Formats: sequence, structure tokens, C-alpha cells
Amino acid sequence: MSEDIDITQLETPELLELIQDDLYDGLAEEVMASVNELLSRGLTPYDVLTRGLVAGMDVVGVDFRDGILFVPEVLMAAKAMKGGMQILRPLLAETGAPQIGTMVIGTVKGDIHDIGKNLVAMMMEGAGFTVVNLGINVDADTFIKAIHEHEPVILGMSALLTTTMPYMGVVIRTLKEQALRDKVIVLVGGAPLNEAFAEDIEADAYCRDAAVAVETAKKMLAIKRGEMTV
Amino acid sequence: MVLIEKKPGLDECKIALMPSGRRGVVPRGTNLLKAAQELGVELESICGGRQTCMKCQVVVEQGQFPKHGILSDAAHLTPLTAQEIEYGLNQRTDGRRLACAAELTGDVLVSVPEESQAHKQIIAKAASDRVIDIDPAVRQVFVQMAPPELGDSQGDWERLSEALQSQWGLADLRIDIRVLPDLQAALREGDYSVTVTLWRDREVLRVQPGYQEGIYGLAYDVGSTTVAAHLCDLRSGAVLATQAAMNTQVRYGEDLMSRVSYATSDPQGLARLNRAVIRTINDLAEKAAASCGVTVEDILDVVIVGNPVMHHILLGIDPVELGAAPFALAVSSALDLKARDIGLTLHPAARLHMLPLIAGHVGADNVAVQIAEAPHEQDENVLIVDVGTNAEIVVGSRQRVLVASSPTGPAFEGAQITHGQRAAPGAVERVRIDSQTLEPRIRLIGHEEWIVPGGADDLPPESRATGICGSGIIEAIAEMYLSGMIDPGGLFLESAAGRTRRVRYLGRTAEYVLVDEALTATGSAIVITQNDIRAIQLAKAALYAGTKLLMVHLGVETVDRIVLAGAFGSFISPLHAMVLGLIPDCELERVVAVGNAAGDGARFALLNLGLREQAAWLAGWVEHISTPLESSFQDEFVAALNLPHLKDRFPHLEHILPPHVDVNEDGRGGRSRLRSRLKAQQASLEES
Repeated sequence: MSEDIDITQLETPELLELIQDDLYDGLAEEVMASVNELLSRGLTPYDVLTRGLVAGMDVVGVDFRDGILFVPEVLMAAKAMKGGMQILRPLLAETGAPQIGTMVIGTVKGDIHDIGKNLVAMMMEGAGFTVVNLGINVDADTFIKAIHEHEPVILGMSALLTTTMPYMGVVIRTLKEQALRDKVIVLVGGAPLNEAFAEDIEADAYCRDAAVAVETAKKMLAIKRGEMTV
Repeated sequence: MVLIEKKPGLDECKIALMPSGRRGVVPRGTNLLKAAQELGVELESICGGRQTCMKCQVVVEQGQFPKHGILSDAAHLTPLTAQEIEYGLNQRTDGRRLACAAELTGDVLVSVPEESQAHKQIIAKAASDRVIDIDPAVRQVFVQMAPPELGDSQGDWERLSEALQSQWGLADLRIDIRVLPDLQAALREGDYSVTVTLWRDREVLRVQPGYQEGIYGLAYDVGSTTVAAHLCDLRSGAVLATQAAMNTQVRYGEDLMSRVSYATSDPQGLARLNRAVIRTINDLAEKAAASCGVTVEDILDVVIVGNPVMHHILLGIDPVELGAAPFALAVSSALDLKARDIGLTLHPAARLHMLPLIAGHVGADNVAVQIAEAPHEQDENVLIVDVGTNAEIVVGSRQRVLVASSPTGPAFEGAQITHGQRAAPGAVERVRIDSQTLEPRIRLIGHEEWIVPGGADDLPPESRATGICGSGIIEAIAEMYLSGMIDPGGLFLESAAGRTRRVRYLGRTAEYVLVDEALTATGSAIVITQNDIRAIQLAKAALYAGTKLLMVHLGVETVDRIVLAGAFGSFISPLHAMVLGLIPDCELERVVAVGNAAGDGARFALLNLGLREQAAWLAGWVEHISTPLESSFQDEFVAALNLPHLKDRFPHLEHILPPHVDVNEDGRGGRSRLRSRLKAQQASLEES
């Protein structure tokens, strides 16, 4: 824990800015200290989440998209975010703060690559989503079961192989058969994919990387909830 | 099918392609890339028509072209796709279309720019000179027998068989059915003295009249991009000819998984892929034979190695199972077949040996590499890296050998790189950057001299750069790091922009101008962008993480020797590969490039029967590790993204690596460092 700045001496707006910068630098302990300080000043957990942590991860996302930050830095930032969330999560539940939403994510059946997918999961958590990560080699039944159980707003699917990506279409067909397709926004990603493929299998969007996934998820969710028009 | 001079019907369009001048008539709605392929114009396509690699760019000419009877218009193609529009936002396209994204709705005359033409490959697969015992599977024996007499009711084959037993002690022989039709003619012509060619002293493959010498074999390495063949004299072991050609399957998709998709999704896919590779193999046999004065009928034995997908397609096996976990092989053991069984047009009775496979991603080509480099016979630990779209990694010694494959992706082959291209004439292959001025020197494939900026305005057009290939990108990024242009995390340092005009910022991200527009074939500068560096970091980290996992499994912290195998491996500079952290630390003199080790291994197995048995044993003995399933893979991967590595030390590079910097203080687009600023503020407050 860094003792060199006395955070109790900082104005609240400055402290919110500090959280964002410390997230950027991946300083978990510092982020947690600032979260506690802000809560002790009477800020609601929801405010600390959105004005501090989520705002900070937005900046991380933009710089990741532009290649300024890279995977190691983003992982550090996500870890710091997780630290802050450990404090906030129980309080958010207690206070009945508005939920940003849940995402179910997995690498599809036949595919065993998961680093990119894990990065998306972490960035989505960073944006305030609750993420259920089903891991690799996930079949349609497992996705469906998770959707029933967790009632996500977003379903994310990933594949690294040209040969495994068509399985995403299988999952979407199954969603339709079970009348679940309209309940979730389906985002797909992975090295061999593109927009045309996403359109073919009738996913809602193709996301080139984790930062785009977060942007797209937020935008589509806002549209769906009627907070934004197309 | 395309009929060149046919008048187009209502539902057909005329198309002509420049500069080749090929033209034809295709059904309305035909994909432009497909139409070009059908007309024999090969466009660069790494993704196999998925609008991903952006390499198949073409120009649609406007206006009337009476010579071709074509009124060409950009509107005679389907509208721009979402991919093309998105690409156009970030890159200058000059109105070019992606051939794979456009369908014909009317007549067009299309120009194919130089960088979109599929170049003839530079083939770096030369035969090595390693010595091995000559003990081939086929040999010739000379026998003399008595002519038949009236009352001798035995057949000529039975009498020849008896002669072989009495004169050579060869029992229980069988004869290939294709030998029988000409058996009696050979016996009569040779006056009952004949030369018999035998396979493993079990089967008669050929009967020649009189005394004959000359027995030849072929060893093939069937790669997904290149097929290489060595024609050998099986008595002397000499390599009489080495030929290589591009695998004509490339037109159906560059990387392996695209081929698997094609085989699975198109009803004719598997048959087409199979025919394409068999044709390539037969053509190479013809060429190799012709170049040393023999005929394909003189070839009696063949050894083929290849990755699992190539292996299965060659045998006509649907590779669908290799496309997804658990990546089950249809057959993994070595196979003894007739060459004719898979459509090879050699001697009608020629034999074919396929080396065994290790796992779904580790094929007979890797077994052949191990036969050539023999890690299982070494006292010290050797690391063998076969770099490709899917890199194979072997680590071990006589105690234990581990093998894994790592999905490096196609970045090392120039895909996903802004100005990346395959290794072909015009590609930047070597790069040196002056650490003071940050000025580059480059070398191009096909041009001997180093080129310095401004120093070569009189270069002939064919010596102008067209792009940058894998070895060039590796050297460029390693040199950028060594000269202090980028930090160990791979990020451009803002201070570099103050040192040279070559580092230029577009918004908050930078790029390095490697080749000025005056020196390029395209007229636009060749640059290395921040995202190019990221793509190479991802690829090299996958390779390093796989290597590291095997080393951890083996319980070693360093390796004693590193072997870079494969066509690409032989072009990489060991120093730059190590600076980048593609390979772990090692004494530089002990990092060697061996060229096409898989082809060498196939040749050794052709010349020595014992090595075929060793290969069969090896395939079962080596331990295969599935790296993505290892729990520490992600951590190893992330740590390996740094140059050369986040944690692992490189004592052999200590004298040349830039001083260790932990944080890039000035490279984050000038983002303020609030924590340090506040710290300074509070400190000064306390002082006052």
C-alpha cells in the first residue's frame, strides 16, 4: 500500500480521478483504499462504481483499442478493478443499486483457445457487467442452461479456428428454437471471424477485440433498453 | 467452366484481367476472386476469400475496351461490403475492391496491382549434406534361370521365384500384379537373365531384361504452402535433384483450417484439395526426373511426410475431425502403400511409405524433423522450433523428448501486418536501424545490395520494395527495440518522434516509416504500425509460451542448443529472434538454422529402412503436450508479450539490450500521471 499520498486530503472529484489513474496503472491496493475512502465520505456504491471504476476502465478500453495499452497492462487494470469490486459488490446488492447486466461467455465446442475470450470477460467486468465465464469447448446445451440460470442480457461466443466458428451458428439456431434469441444480445469474436460471418449466422454483432466488445455491448444494451435510438 | 470466345448469354458477364490479358465469360453473380482463379489468374489470398486478409485488392477500370469488347464500370460489381467500408476508413484504398467481396453483375476489365498478384515463391529448401547409412527398402538382384522346356508345367513366375530362392536365398516372395503382364517378355528378351527389383525382400516390383543398374526414389515434404521433393539414387544415396513448388491447394485457402473448412463445406472440396496436391506431387516428380535424365517410371520408392491435414487429404480422408477438439486422427501409425493407390504416376508398382503422426496438430513432418535432428540421441537439451502458422516445438534429449504445437497465427507470414507479404521478390527481408539517427538500411529478396534511404534513386523498378515479409518484420521490430524507438512493452516512445521524422503520430498512436515512397513499387511508404508490433508480440508470445511450458515440464531452465527449422526458420536472424523473445536465451553460436529439416528427414527415411522403424518408435515415445490446456499457459503467454520477456533473463544479450526500463513514462499519448503529480504537490506542500 502506497503511503506517499494522503488520500483523505484530496477533494472527492480529485479522488475519483485518482481512482481512474490508478486503475490505468493497475494499482489494486491503491484503488481499494480510494474506494473505501469514497464510501466513508457517503458516496453511494453505485456512484463509486460508475464515476470511479467504470469511468476508469473506459479509458483503459480506449487505449487498448488504439494499441497504446496492451494485454499485460489491461490484465493489471482488470485486476485492480476486481479489487474495487470485491468491496462494492456486496454493498451494491444490499442497496439494490441498478444492475448493469449479466454476460454469459464461452469458447464454442471444438475450440480450446481462451486467452482472448478471458480478456473480453475481464473488460466486460471492468465495464460493470456480471460475467459468467463458461470456459472452453462449450456446447449449445451448456450455453442454454447458463442462459436459463443466469438470465444474461449479453451472450458472448468466441472461436479461434475457421473450423469451429460455424458452431456459433448452431448455438444461435438453438436459441431460436427455444425462443430465447430475443432475450439476449449475441456478440461473437475471434481471429478468423468478420462482420459478414456474424451477419450470416445472425449474431447481433462481431467484435474485433475486447475494447470493441465492451463498446458494442453498452451501445446495443442502451438501444435495447430504449435509452438510445438507432 | 469458362469458354474463352463464347458470346455471353443474358445471365453471363464478360471479364478480362490485366496485365495477364486473360478473359472469359462467367455466370452473372460469380465471385470476382473465383472468376480470376478460374481464368488462371492467381491473386494473393491468405484468408481464402473471407474478406479478412485484404490482400486480393483489384482495380476496376472505367470505360470502353474495344479490344476485349468490354464496357467496364465499377457499378458492374455488387456494392462495397461492410468489411470493405470499414477497411476504407483506416486505409487508402484508391477505389480498389476486394476481389473476394465482389460479385459480377456486368462486364468488367480488372487490373491486378503488383502486390495483389500471387508471386512465385522463393523456395529455400535445399538439401543438406548429412551422412547416413544407405539401406533402402528396395534393391535390385540379378538372376539367371534355365529356359522353359516342353513338359515343364510351372509358370514363369514360379520358376523365377525358385531361381531367386536358390541364387539369393529369397523365400516367400510375392509379385505385384502390375509386373505380371510384362514378365514373360522381359524373360525372353533377357534370354532368361533378368534384374529383379525387390521391396524389403518380400515383393517383386519390377523385372528388367539382362543386367540393369539404376534405382531411384523420391522423398516429399508436403507443406501447406510449399511441396518439396528430393530425387535420390537409392544405391549411392546421392540427391540427384531437388525441386519445390507451391502447393496448388493454396487457391482454396492459405492456412490449414481454411482447407479443412473448404473440405467440409463444399461437396467437391475434399476431392479438389486431394487432386490439387496429388497434381503438385506428380508435377514435381516429372520435373525432378527430367532434370537428371531419368523418367518417373524409374522411381520405385517414395516417402511422404506432411502435417496431419495434408497427410489425411493426400489419403482422401476427410480432415473434418482435425478441425475441432479433440483433433482425432483417422490413423496415426506409419503406412506402407502402393504409390498408385493415391494416384501417383510413377513406376506402376512403386511403393509409398507415409511416416507416422504424433497428434492432431503434430504430424509426420515433425517426426521427420526429429529423424533429421535426432534430439533423442543428444546428451544436451536441444530446442527445435519449426515456425509456421502453427509452430511445432520440440524440447529434449535422449532422456525425454516433449513436443507441442502452438497457434502463432499467420503474422510471421506477413498476414495481419499492414504492409506484410509472403517471402517473394521485392519483400523487405533484412533490416538494420542506426541507433543514433534511427535511419534504416534494408535488403530486399531478389536484390543483393543493402539499400539506404536516398541512396538508391536509380534502382530498377524490379528492385523496389513491395512489402515486408516475416523475417523482415522480426528484424525491424527487434531493431526498433534495440535503437530505443519502442519500450520493452512494445509501445512507441514519444521521445523517438523527436529524434526522427520517420516516427510519426497519427492521433495518439505512432508508426515508423521503414521505406520511403520513392523506394517502393507501390508508390506509398512501407510503415510499421503500433498494431503491427502488437500482432508480432502476440505471435511470438504464443511460440515462447509453448516453449517455456515444455521446458518447465522437462524441468530445465535453459536449453543448450536451438535449431530453427522450416523455410522461414532459415531466414530468421538468430540474434533478432532472441532480442524479440521468439526463442529463449542461448549462446548465439549455438542457434542454427537447418532449412527444410522435414524434407531431410523424409529423405533419410527413404534411404534407410532402420530410420523408418525409428520413426515409428519415436512417434510413440515422444510426449505430446496440449499447451492451451495447461493452466499456466495464459500466464506464460502474457509474460512473453514483453521484449524479450517480462521475467526471463537473457544473459547472452546483456551487452546489446537497452537498459531495463520498467514503465514507459512518456509513451502514453501524454496522459498525465496524476499519482506522481499529486505526490510531488503534497511533498512540496510539506516542505513549505
